[in-house]
Amino acid sequence: MQNTFIARNPSVLWFLAALGLFTAIVTLMSEATGVGLISTSFVKTLGKTLCLCLIAIAMDVVWGYCGILSLGHFAFFGIGGYAIGMWLMYARTEAIVVPNLMAQTIPPTPQEISDAIGNQIFGVVGSSEFPMIWGFADSLFLQLLMVVLVPGLLALVFGWLAFRSRVTGVYLSILTQAMTLALALYLFQNDSGLRGNNGLSGLQNIPGFEDTPQATISIVFFLASAFALAAGYVFFAWIVSGKMGSVVKGIRDNEARVRFLGYHVESYKLFIFTITAIVAGIAGALYYPQAGIINPGEIAPIASIYLAVWVAIGGRGRLYGAVIGAAFVSLLSSWFTGGGAPPINLGFYTIQWTDWWLVLLGVSFVAVTLFFPKGIGGLFDYLVRKQP
Amino acid sequence: MRYLVLALAVWLGTFVSAQAQTVQDILQVHADEIAKPSRRSVSVALDDLVASGLPQVPVFLEQWSARNVWQRDDGQFFIGDADGDDLALTDIDTGAASFALKSEFTQIRPNGGVRRVIGTALVQFQLSDPDLGRRETAVASIARRPEAAQLAPLLASIEGEPDAALKARKVQLANFLSARFADDPADRIAAINSLSSDTSVEARSVLNQILTTEPGVSASEPEGNIARVLDPMIDPDGFYAQLVEAELAPSRTPPDVIRAALEANVVEGRVGDVPVAQLGTDQMREAAYAQLADAGLVASLVTVSDRDAAIAAHVFFETYDEADPTITAAAEAALASVEQRVAFAQAADLALDGLSLASIYFLAAIGLAITFGVMGVINMAHGEFIMMGAYTGYVVQLFIPDYTLSIIVALPLAFAITFGAGVSMERLVIRHLYHRPLETLLATFGISIALQQLAKNIFGTQARPLTSPGWLDGAWVISDVIQISYIRIAIFILALLFLALILYVLKRTRLGLEVRAVTQNPGMAASMGINPDRINMLTFGLGSGIAGIAGVAIGLYAKVTSEMGTDYIVQSFMTVVVGGVGNVWGTLLGASMIGFLQKGIEWLNPSNTLAAQTYMILFIILFIQFRPKGIIALKGRAAAD
Amino acid sequence: MSTLLEVSGVTVTFDGFRAINNLSVQFAEAELRAIIGPNGAGKTTFMDIVTGKTKPDEGSVIWGDKNTSLLGMSESQIAREGIGRKFQKPTVFEDQTVRQNLAMALKNPRGPFAVLMHKKTPENAARIEEIATEIGLSDQLTRTAGELSHGQKQWLEIGMLLAQDPKLLLVDEPAAGMTVEEREKTTDILRRAAETRAVVVVEHDMEFVRRLGCKVTVLHEGSVLAEGSLDHVTSNKTVVDVYLGRAHA
Repeated sequence: MQNTFIARNPSVLWFLAALGLFTAIVTLMSEATGVGLISTSFVKTLGKTLCLCLIAIAMDVVWGYCGILSLGHFAFFGIGGYAIGMWLMYARTEAIVVPNLMAQTIPPTPQEISDAIGNQIFGVVGSSEFPMIWGFADSLFLQLLMVVLVPGLLALVFGWLAFRSRVTGVYLSILTQAMTLALALYLFQNDSGLRGNNGLSGLQNIPGFEDTPQATISIVFFLASAFALAAGYVFFAWIVSGKMGSVVKGIRDNEARVRFLGYHVESYKLFIFTITAIVAGIAGALYYPQAGIINPGEIAPIASIYLAVWVAIGGRGRLYGAVIGAAFVSLLSSWFTGGGAPPINLGFYTIQWTDWWLVLLGVSFVAVTLFFPKGIGGLFDYLVRKQP
Repeated sequence: MRYLVLALAVWLGTFVSAQAQTVQDILQVHADEIAKPSRRSVSVALDDLVASGLPQVPVFLEQWSARNVWQRDDGQFFIGDADGDDLALTDIDTGAASFALKSEFTQIRPNGGVRRVIGTALVQFQLSDPDLGRRETAVASIARRPEAAQLAPLLASIEGEPDAALKARKVQLANFLSARFADDPADRIAAINSLSSDTSVEARSVLNQILTTEPGVSASEPEGNIARVLDPMIDPDGFYAQLVEAELAPSRTPPDVIRAALEANVVEGRVGDVPVAQLGTDQMREAAYAQLADAGLVASLVTVSDRDAAIAAHVFFETYDEADPTITAAAEAALASVEQRVAFAQAADLALDGLSLASIYFLAAIGLAITFGVMGVINMAHGEFIMMGAYTGYVVQLFIPDYTLSIIVALPLAFAITFGAGVSMERLVIRHLYHRPLETLLATFGISIALQQLAKNIFGTQARPLTSPGWLDGAWVISDVIQISYIRIAIFILALLFLALILYVLKRTRLGLEVRAVTQNPGMAASMGINPDRINMLTFGLGSGIAGIAGVAIGLYAKVTSEMGTDYIVQSFMTVVVGGVGNVWGTLLGASMIGFLQKGIEWLNPSNTLAAQTYMILFIILFIQFRPKGIIALKGRAAAD
Repeated sequence: MSTLLEVSGVTVTFDGFRAINNLSVQFAEAELRAIIGPNGAGKTTFMDIVTGKTKPDEGSVIWGDKNTSLLGMSESQIAREGIGRKFQKPTVFEDQTVRQNLAMALKNPRGPFAVLMHKKTPENAARIEEIATEIGLSDQLTRTAGELSHGQKQWLEIGMLLAQDPKLLLVDEPAAGMTVEEREKTTDILRRAAETRAVVVVEHDMEFVRRLGCKVTVLHEGSVLAEGSLDHVTSNKTVVDVYLGRAHA
């Protein structure tokens, strides 16, 4: 079985090898080992990029393989981030507040502890009471469960409603975009219970590891992200390569045919939509502790569209394409917008890339859609096939 | 009529008793109050002056208020006009002019409070002033600060009022005053009843003032004109605080006080016999505190059951300030009736708001609906075409300072520019993607981010103004509740025009015929000699051009920024999706539904427009469940795939 | 011979246009039947109704020994009940191999989790070989379906229907765009299939229908105009007027 799986997916071995090599190099060069050729902040950037690659392969499965152009997967990513962020913020605040209270003459009551933590967390939105949704915030295990359950349930309910009424194509894209917008708008409210547009912050401080240097923490998260990406890659490769993949690709290419073959198309779409939403949530839960802050702006519809852009540039319908696209575009983006790219002097006008990067991205995206619909991955395929 | 007789009696009475006096006489009687007036003392003097009915009184009051009254060392008052060391004097009663040295006189300087009191007294005279402007000022001043004393003079001035509008206003105001201050309860009730159909803010405030209440608490059955008896259990702590304030109960011991008391009484690691380490729960703390209280160290603890017992032993109520129950009952009835009318008016106002929002969505979405309907292409850059239109308007205003003219130039220019942009986009990009609709969505999204950033690079990130012509400023006020700004009316008319225009183009022109043919069956249309390429290009241009015009319209009342397109794009999509594809009426219905819905939800939850939008989107997602193809769906074979 | 499918009194209206008008027709368990009729006679709509794509306004569609109603079932449920449908245009999954196409259609559990855990079995492989031989594509199994010729795609689609092992096969214009030899082969495949199950062929081409040599039902304006052997219906005056007459005029 294992043999046939690898045989059907030669890219899996290559991918795992490349990822392993990359991870090893980064780890050895990082500040955590004392070499320090790669700064801690760049390790974080790379770790975040791995998480983006993970959500990109999820997007590729739902769009490239199943044909559902979801403009909502970044919402699931954000939900995963919020879920883990709630625990991080709660536990961290608790670790700061409780010793103070304990130092006083009289031991604090549970109510006093809760009020003090609530005051710290919700002071910015003028409240000190814990909303209902923070009910599990004190338990890492339960919040980790939320990372999986909340995106999964939301995707299940939304998908069930949408697929059941046979909303497809562009309509479905718009509907998923609307869902994302609704979620972002909801989170922007101060009484959403998630600190409104302040979002959750200080997530880079891991409770219980206050004394561990960020250099080490960043490498741990980097490795965890790499592991999650590897696991996600193998998992999705398994899903799309077998008979499941056959049916799913069939749905993408001709939904009616699959239906008349007796497959309940909606169940399959729902399965793919939900499973990818869960992986997106996990990617988010790994991303935001490295980013340190999450706010509703991250969930705005535009983020999900960028996700589609990455996958399209990388090449749909091939998992490594999604990884290449996400890594390439997001790293390039931070290089250009971070001022890394040298300005171009035209004599009468100087092109500052912080201003012009989005124009370049937009135009090249149109070009890729028009001229290279298979993306970078397609080019890659072409080169690999040419060799023998 | 009854008021008139009453007023006449008052008027005559003052006239008769005033015969023998001069103003100076009265002033001398109250010389101290006049010379050093205070808000409290001055009213006695004023009452006498007004009661005298002398014709010189208003002049004197005006001059007094204007700090032009001077007192001679012998106590006589004059109206004076200082000029260097000299003073031009006018006798208060006779008006005789003379000159004197300023040093012999003291200027009387009433402070602001006193001048307001004088002003109120003056109003009565100004009500009958020959100058219309003064009469209006007087009426306005009464309306601002209604007082009982003004009722009679106001009534008296109605009969002789020559200006019809002002007369009506006076009658209305007299009615308001009667409702609050008339002596005869029957008069008040009559006036109150007449207010039951008046939805103006003023009338409502009159009724509300009659109905002002005071909270009260008593151990027995309450007395007075009781408005309502309250149930203290809705907010036990709040009502207990009221008891404490009325000194009917000991104050509660809040947790921090308990905590402080415990901290202050720690003896050898214990409070009473409770070890400090066990004080981590409320029960243990209260137990320890009770021990302290028993030992007399602290005030005794008021527990929750003490609080509830105390609350239960008292009656909490609200009494009307107005003692007469028949009047408050009449006012309550009138207010209820007014509020019902106000609710209707608000519903009408809400409908107008919804209509104007619907027009905006219609304008923003119709272009999208046309391109989507005819070509099956979702144009994500549609919002950026709206933005281009708005910036066109802004640039035109830089060159043409006359706002009316600039708008007239900007509308067709915006259409032309976005039409051109749409056509080139269709030729360069969309044409190549007709069989891949999802990729059109993405490619146009690429164009959208490029255009947005381009606009940011050219115009900067700050909002640019697009000023509407002066004649569009202001609002059409139907009543205090219903009003709508002229810009929104203009946008509504623009939307109607475009509806008519698009219907005309689609139903009555050759182009429209060809467009409909391509929409329904592109293959067949092509075989009939229609060039679908040309139709697609023109349709896309048309849709984009309308977006440009919508941009000018939206720019007139919203900010013009490079990101304004994104504010409308999702709503536009919603409108198209809800309305159903390929049908102008569908878009109209979709826009109306979303516009009205959004206003409706905002009205239910006015503090939170974000929540309103969230709920609206959720509603739309549910709506799609029941009408997956929109309100107006194509049926039959065309809709099958 | 017992009745497999009974359509009675079915009416469908699209925007006031009656596509199907009080249509009643029956099919036996193992028969070959051709349905002919001019454009707009309601042939495709009839197939849409039987396969669950379109819901009729009135009437009933009764299926099988247990007399279950097909109305209210979803397309996939009806397919699992044993009705296979071939579209007018060949619709195979062009990105996938012939073997994958057939494997997807094989009669196996259709739930997502069963499919996810699906393992290849020798029985399935044998069945795929068998069907491939039947449709003459046994040497094409590893090719991508998109590379096949038009006729081969049509056969592959018929093969996919056979792999479903349906009790009733609805075939829409199988011979369109085929060469003469391909038509002959198609006729053979359909005739053999009809030995063990009902096969209903919608066709325009009279020659093809004649070659099938089966009972013919003529549809016109949404209802049955005539039924019987081809010779019988072609001698019917009304049929000649509305259909053949126009066609040959």
